[in-house]
Amino acid sequence: MVAAARFDGSSVDRRALVLAVAAVQVAAFLVADALGRPTLYVAFAVVSAACLGALADRGPFGIVAACLGGALLVALVYPLVTLVTVASPESVIAALARPDVRRTLYLSVYAPLLATLLTCFLGVPLALLLRRDFPGRPVVESLVDLPLVVPHSVAGLAVLLAFGEGGAFPTLPVLGAVPGLVLALAFVSAPYAVDGAREGFETVDRDAERAARSLGASRFETFRRVTAPLAVRGVLSGAILSWARAVSEYGAVAVVAYNVSVFYPPAGERVQAMFGSVFVVRELDVNFDAAVAVAVCLLAVCVAVFLAVRTLTRDTGRWA
Amino acid sequence: MLRFDVRAAFRDDATTFDVAADLTVRDGETLCLLGPSGSGKTLLLELLAGFHEHDGSIELDGRPIEDAPPEARGIGFVFQNYALFSHLSVRENVAFGTKYHENARDPDALLARLGVADLAERSPDTLSGGEKQRIALARALCVRPDAFLLDEPLSALDAPTRERLRDDLVDVLADETAVYVTHDRTTARAVADRVAVLRDGRVAQVGPTETVFERPATRFVAEFTGATVVAGSSLPPGLDAPTGLLAVRPDHIRVGVAEGAPAHVERVVREDAAYRVTLAVGDATLVAYSSAEPSTETTVAVPSGRWHVLPDGERDADE
Repeated sequence: MVAAARFDGSSVDRRALVLAVAAVQVAAFLVADALGRPTLYVAFAVVSAACLGALADRGPFGIVAACLGGALLVALVYPLVTLVTVASPESVIAALARPDVRRTLYLSVYAPLLATLLTCFLGVPLALLLRRDFPGRPVVESLVDLPLVVPHSVAGLAVLLAFGEGGAFPTLPVLGAVPGLVLALAFVSAPYAVDGAREGFETVDRDAERAARSLGASRFETFRRVTAPLAVRGVLSGAILSWARAVSEYGAVAVVAYNVSVFYPPAGERVQAMFGSVFVVRELDVNFDAAVAVAVCLLAVCVAVFLAVRTLTRDTGRWA
Repeated sequence: MLRFDVRAAFRDDATTFDVAADLTVRDGETLCLLGPSGSGKTLLLELLAGFHEHDGSIELDGRPIEDAPPEARGIGFVFQNYALFSHLSVRENVAFGTKYHENARDPDALLARLGVADLAERSPDTLSGGEKQRIALARALCVRPDAFLLDEPLSALDAPTRERLRDDLVDVLADETAVYVTHDRTTARAVADRVAVLRDGRVAQVGPTETVFERPATRFVAEFTGATVVAGSSLPPGLDAPTGLLAVRPDHIRVGVAEGAPAHVERVVREDAAYRVTLAVGDATLVAYSSAEPSTETTVAVPSGRWHVLPDGERDADE
């Protein structure tokens, strides 16, 4: 259906093309799944990527690159799709009926949200500073990115020692408490928020800001009317990545606080809730179906928020 | 009137670049800062706009503004890369400054004056370079600044668009006090009432446009404004050239005249509406406009008074 034209965007409607490729991939996956031969789909996906590479007319390198890229995409997407197909709707519904599962999902969204708000509140102004040169900027940049290379269980331990009992904030409950959970999540997710915001600010044309000043806008007005609107996509992207990273955190949470007392609005009172990633690992030994169901729910929430914000921050709203 | 005597040093890890200029722009006058890339033209303009810290004084219509932030200087800036607000429509771009200026002009009237009224609802990203620069110009005009600073506003445009917009700029700036930065001597000659030639962050010469072009103060100014520089002693006697280091503009050299000095046509290059010929005359090389054939013999003459003896030629930095 697409072989008659090159993928140069001129002769084929891009959106229709993406839909067609996606439909073929879904159909192939379902057939392989029905046959119980997942290897067939993996092979099909890589071969179809090679075909698309050939149709794109980028030469042998294009075909090889499409093959390799296709293999990577399969490695990224196939496990997630498998997870969704393994979980039956009944098991997901049954899992969602459990109060502890619902509390887990709530905490898994709520605590990362608090962590993201904290990292953005503290990190976005820092990102604004980091786009201009100042003595020691490389040091600050390295410090911001340091959590990326610290093993997360080590990060959890460090947070516990620094901010736990006898630490920097003596009155702050850290071990086994929401503040500790949020601090641990903020520690591991802050680099994404700061780097995303910095990239957003760096895309703002310096001359556009100068033009605003020369037109009478104060420094603050220039930030409000020019810098912020132009950088908001980067800031939001960084916040989403930061939030997603926090949702997926396991190591630091397992050390600092994974089972906490949190106010749960549907119940109107404080309840005990376990963080999602820890819940999934613990539940695997107890109730495999429930673990998979919770994993699918977490995945669905993350993907939904990710797609929603990505759609909101896209320039064109097109798929391709 | 814009009067300034400013200095600033710009440092990076390896180098320091100093800019210093003491100039006056009279009311309604367009002063061109003409110079090669890296001569400090744009930096000087940015100093005046308040975008960099600097020493010295700037006075606009009798008001000292050297300590004022950019928004309080009363200076409009037109950027080479347009610097439009891509998240706003064309009309919103032009009207951006009306919030801060009670006597602002009507944005729609300005758009109409510049021939882009039909673009008011468009996004700047959808416009051509010429259209973008007209919007940027309208935006600057809208707030009625006391002076305009224009940083190579035409250099990113194709030739036909550049010429049309240049003509419009001459009209728009006719009664405005403006400093216009360019590296293009043709543009400078077209738009400037006076020209200041910059080199290495310093003013090499300032004066009325024709004076700078016809009576350059240094070899650098002469060559940058398009004149040929030769030593008088290298020319044949028939040219009646004075002694010393001489500058002569191509349009003053007559080729193929009856009583001229012998010359050999070395090269002919078609330039827009004329042929630019390189001539070997005695031991010197001159450039003129002519329809002579390449590799032929001809004659040249320079009317008396068209030779310009460069003052301080021996002490010029190029020597």
